[in-house]
Amino acid sequence: MRPPGSPDAGALVAGLVLVALGAVLLLDRLEVLDLRFGTLAPIACAAVGAVLLASGLSRRDGQG
Amino acid sequence: MDTPHNDPNQPQSPIGGPAHDPDPTAPTVEQSAGAAGDEPRRLTRSRTDRVLGGVCGGVARYFGIDPVIARIVAVGMVLLGGAGVLLYLAALLLVPSDPALGGIGTAPATSDRSRTLGIVVVVVLLLFTWPFLLGGGFLLAGILVPIAVLAVVGLVIWWFVSGASPEGEPREIAKQALFGIGALIACGAIFTGGFIAAAAGGGAVAAGLVIAAGLALVVGAFAGRVRWLVLPALSLAMGVGIVAAAGIDFDGGFGERDYRPASASDIRDRYELAGGELVVDLRGTDLPAGDTPLTLDVGMGEATVLVPEDVCVASRAEIGIGLIEVFDRENAGADVDWEDLPRAANGNSRVVLDAEVGMGHVQVLHDAPVRDDFGSDGRFNRSFDDRNGGANAGCEASTLSAVGR
Repeated sequence: MRPPGSPDAGALVAGLVLVALGAVLLLDRLEVLDLRFGTLAPIACAAVGAVLLASGLSRRDGQG
Repeated sequence: MDTPHNDPNQPQSPIGGPAHDPDPTAPTVEQSAGAAGDEPRRLTRSRTDRVLGGVCGGVARYFGIDPVIARIVAVGMVLLGGAGVLLYLAALLLVPSDPALGGIGTAPATSDRSRTLGIVVVVVLLLFTWPFLLGGGFLLAGILVPIAVLAVVGLVIWWFVSGASPEGEPREIAKQALFGIGALIACGAIFTGGFIAAAAGGGAVAAGLVIAAGLALVVGAFAGRVRWLVLPALSLAMGVGIVAAAGIDFDGGFGERDYRPASASDIRDRYELAGGELVVDLRGTDLPAGDTPLTLDVGMGEATVLVPEDVCVASRAEIGIGLIEVFDRENAGADVDWEDLPRAANGNSRVVLDAEVGMGHVQVLHDAPVRDDFGSDGRFNRSFDDRNGGANAGCEASTLSAVGR
């Protein structure tokens, strides 16, 4: 268990990543950006990687 | 494999075979249960009723059947492609032997976790190799391999959501895998919902939901366990993201559309189809000299343009994921940007094709025969023989680009 008062790092990073991802998608839908697979694929991989990394590190540190 | 071992001390069944535990010194199920309270009965290899490793003796005792039956089944599985060999080896490695004499309830040599991991690995390997050993090859592999992959994915999802490694009795592990598969199905439904919503014009709302889920996770990170929200939110984001990247929209409806305009003035400004098959047949169209624009917008599916041989075709296309074939030229992949703008030869007509396809196939053919038939599945099939697609012969040869050759 994580110490009282400290955030769940995995959930925190995942939340921030999702906010950023949602913002990119919203900008595309509003035609501010023009997303293509060539740009979306690295973004998606980075998002999933960041979530997994944060989850793994928080578990290793006993926060999971 | 094991053969019956004649133990003068063991009870005999009325038909002559040992009916129960052939090893009077080994702990029986009842003894083990009595010694360890509610501890579940344990599958062990018999120390006395054995030929090789006591696997068949142990299995027979576990299920309360005659060991001869277990041995016959084992030999049968060996003859049916060799799966019995693998199973026997797996049991030899993973099933502990009977406790030493007088050592009722002795702990197994390996820890529960490592044995569980070993069991999972061996089961997955068996599921992968069994179809080939049985001679079913890809037929059986087409069923068992996806099941194996699904089980592993289910356990990974369980690990991610629960934060705990899959361990415990096989029944518990199966429950965890089923939970993970259920979560996977739910995420698939959310992905599909996000995909449909975005393609139908609700992408901004779906993106807003992703942001809201992200904010909920940030807040929840300080308050409690909200990690379960990550997978559904990511699934939603992926559904919206694919629609955004492919440029899919659901304008134009679904199904098969077949247009045969009689003259250039009958050609629509834009042919749209959300999903399905779109055919624009210009072979009977009275096309004037000069350029005739043709615009196609297909969300998911196939768009086919048929033109006479003396008509030159200039083409531009944007395809999210898919393939474009303009006569003998083609390009395929993700983010396909296609442009081939030859000039018409000798005052021929030129069709200027502008196509947008999210996911699918665009093809331009000359007088390709349409083959209508009923397939072996009894369903109506229509396909075009693209081997007769020909070349862009109505254009000046020197202006034909090398794109897609």
